[in-house]
Amino acid sequence: MEKQDGGHNVKHGTAVTDSHGLTRRTVLMSLAAFGVAVAGGLAAAPGTAHGQALGQNESVEEALKRLFGGKTIKDGSAAIKLDVPLIAENGAVVPVSVTVDSPMTPASWVKHIYVVADKNRIPVVTRVTLAPEAGRAFMGANIRLGESGDVRAIVEQSDGTLLQVKREVKVTVGGCGG
Amino acid sequence: MADIGKVRLRVPSSIKPGDVVEVRSLVIHPMERVERDAQGKIVQRNYNYINKVIVTYLGKTVATFDTTQSVAENPFFSFTFKATDPGQLKVQFLDTTGGRYEGTADIKFA
Repeated sequence: MEKQDGGHNVKHGTAVTDSHGLTRRTVLMSLAAFGVAVAGGLAAAPGTAHGQALGQNESVEEALKRLFGGKTIKDGSAAIKLDVPLIAENGAVVPVSVTVDSPMTPASWVKHIYVVADKNRIPVVTRVTLAPEAGRAFMGANIRLGESGDVRAIVEQSDGTLLQVKREVKVTVGGCGG
Repeated sequence: MADIGKVRLRVPSSIKPGDVVEVRSLVIHPMERVERDAQGKIVQRNYNYINKVIVTYLGKTVATFDTTQSVAENPFFSFTFKATDPGQLKVQFLDTTGGRYEGTADIKFA
């Protein structure tokens, strides 16, 4: 790929020299700089890709900071309905559903719904990206809960407002009733 | 687990134009958990879990789920879409090993 780029650019470079009076030296130097930048970008890419993975081993505070960068999150209990069981007998499968009161029109819709389980080692469970065509801001999923703790739903609206609700779920791992 | 990647979609039987329809989807998938060694350190390897679910209706993306290992085994997702025209609803599940599983449903009006 690099080789091909080089060949293309050199050819292009001569054309530029002719028409705009750039010297061959400046063209080559800028090409070299470009090459270094590309190589650097390639080397850094795996690191950043890993750094931006959604699910990471971190605390909730870190996760929220990473996702929302310290933006204030308002209380959204009036608009968001978070449906989780109060007691989950089996932490491996916990049904969660989130419904947000939103018109879902191209002018105002719910862009993202995040589900975050505070006590999980990987707190971010899912990020749902919705389009106005969804008709209603709704999502449902089966999640895992490591232990009893808060489950929160954070909603990002199309204008950037963040709303959240949280509910505590008690998890009975391997209880006799299971 | 010979059934990995089997997708089931459940759409209401009668849909009227303009309805907001709730669809339930399920895929058979192990959703591997993070493993730890005796010291509690994470064993580094490529875990096989679903990290993306894409829902398209009439060729347009309606919803995308970015998921992590905190989602249960044999994950179940539900979502809604607004049925405007008859056509195909497609749900694609992508996992970390490059697996791609999809289920489709034809949306027809009764």
